[in-house]
Amino acid sequence: MMNPYLPVKATIAEIREETGGARPIKTFKVALQNGNAFNQKPGQCAMVGILRVGESMISIASSPTQQEYLEFSIMKLGKVTSALHSFEGGETITIRGPYGNGFPIAEWKGKNIVTIGGGIGQAPLRPIVQYVLDNRNDFEQFDIIYGARSTGDLCYKTELFELEKRNDLKVHLSIDMADPDWKQFVGFVPNNVLRIKPSPENTIAITCGPPVMIKYVIHNLLELGFSEQQIFTTLENRMKCGIGKCGRCNVGNFYVCKDGPVFNYATLKNLPEF
Amino acid sequence: MDVFTLKKDSLQDFLSTLSAAYQLWAPLQKDGDTLFEPVLDCRNNLPDLDHQAKIIKHAIFPQTEPLFSYDQNDQIQAPGFGDMKQAVLFGVRPCDARSLTLLDQVFAGDVPDPYYMSRRDKAILIGIACTDPFANCFCTSVGGTPCGREGLDLLCTDLGNRYLVAVLSEKGKEIINKASSLFTAAPAEDIKRGAELAQNAERGIRRHIDLAGVTDTLGKIFEHPVWKKMTLKCIGCGICTYTCPTCYCFDIQDEPMAKKRGRRVRVWDSCMYKEYTLHASGHNPRPTRIERLKNRIYHKFKFNVDTHGAFGCVGCGRCITLCPVNEDIIENLLAVKGAA
Repeated sequence: MMNPYLPVKATIAEIREETGGARPIKTFKVALQNGNAFNQKPGQCAMVGILRVGESMISIASSPTQQEYLEFSIMKLGKVTSALHSFEGGETITIRGPYGNGFPIAEWKGKNIVTIGGGIGQAPLRPIVQYVLDNRNDFEQFDIIYGARSTGDLCYKTELFELEKRNDLKVHLSIDMADPDWKQFVGFVPNNVLRIKPSPENTIAITCGPPVMIKYVIHNLLELGFSEQQIFTTLENRMKCGIGKCGRCNVGNFYVCKDGPVFNYATLKNLPEF
Repeated sequence: MDVFTLKKDSLQDFLSTLSAAYQLWAPLQKDGDTLFEPVLDCRNNLPDLDHQAKIIKHAIFPQTEPLFSYDQNDQIQAPGFGDMKQAVLFGVRPCDARSLTLLDQVFAGDVPDPYYMSRRDKAILIGIACTDPFANCFCTSVGGTPCGREGLDLLCTDLGNRYLVAVLSEKGKEIINKASSLFTAAPAEDIKRGAELAQNAERGIRRHIDLAGVTDTLGKIFEHPVWKKMTLKCIGCGICTYTCPTCYCFDIQDEPMAKKRGRRVRVWDSCMYKEYTLHASGHNPRPTRIERLKNRIYHKFKFNVDTHGAFGCVGCGRCITLCPVNEDIIENLLAVKGAA
């Protein structure tokens, strides 16, 4: 019998600072020591651990089209994430997974894609960005809508500023609080969605961010004419096992670790606690 | 089906035979409680079959269990599952045997849990029929019966100076064969007496609730004020979950040890605690005892039905008996029905 609690070891190859402040975010580039591919789907998660410290479920921020490494964008909050933030690169961590259902991205072939992220919620959307760009001809129009509280809170800045220069996708950035150097939209992400007005015609919208942002983004997408089936989101909850046994990550009778984290809004709207 | 009698005078010999061949567990008196524990001395510490043991699930699903350990060089050592000794659980109540069949659905699942499954596969369950049910037993309201056989390998019924022993599986037959000299074929009048006692036992169940339609009702009253009222008494101590035979939630923690060694362990956890669902960000999807008690009732009487087709409750009544503030799951369910 396979032991699902047994992790593999991985080496932190590179650490990039994304944001500063009281809750800084760093992106950790990680390579499995056994040389195997992790074979994850976009939207899946992994249990990232440090021996003697503990484990945390983290969404995988890189696409499976990048085989050699995994990336995790992690906010410094608890025991495990604080320990990770103290690392300098070269350390060994433990990984198990991948967990969860992932995005049904193969079914989105031939469609327009719009991702709508807020804060660190861009991390689980980033594999979609990479996947779509690596398979650009499979998809039609591609829009990235992303915002954070301030310029200092935007993740993947360099990457997104580079993407802005491309003409095969549109990047719409925003910050909540005005900044004299900021030339783009100032306001909340749901308002930016209303301003940009993505067309619901043949489009899939995927959103992730703080719970309150997700609620208003969905509300606004429905107002723009999106059907429930065209809207996807990815949830998070405290998790320990990753295989639907330890109990805590349930929303209604779904376990976010196993039945999620990706939910179609048509399913999600019926769940009691959402 | 084979049925035998075992003289009570022979119980010690039977248990000695079992403890020589298996890891033997039984309900034992300890510090004024009846605890289900490994039997170390079958001569002087006979099983206590008069009281309800606190719990039995820890024999299969220990409260604290190392998943693996590691040394100062981070070399990980996981347990092998092949060399585990077969266990005999003696004196298991029919409701507790049923509860293991419910836990099986969780731990087998699409990704089997090797720690639970290897113990479970090697466990032989010898039941004791509840001919005199306890005050808060309500097994008959959730699909069970006090002399039920589900999940058991042998079922013993107390006939005064002897036990009637029904063989319910191949594993059960194996146990009888190990001590065949102690067992005699049961006479017809003993079998008849056993059936009568089983019938009387059902009448001895004092607490009842008609749960028809409760799952549908739960589907409609998530936002109902009844939940707030129900929770007023609850102090969130979690005893209902720790003593519940169908509760299985767990935490996983790393334990650093001396000389830079350590281990990753799983420990029972409880949905009644706020830390159980607390996000690292500070957000908590179940922030108060109202949401937590509500989730417990939903899990047992709706989510488990939706996912596994059965109530996640076997009616053992422990959560009622042991609650320090007299929360009563039957009263809770009556309130649910009243809110329909």
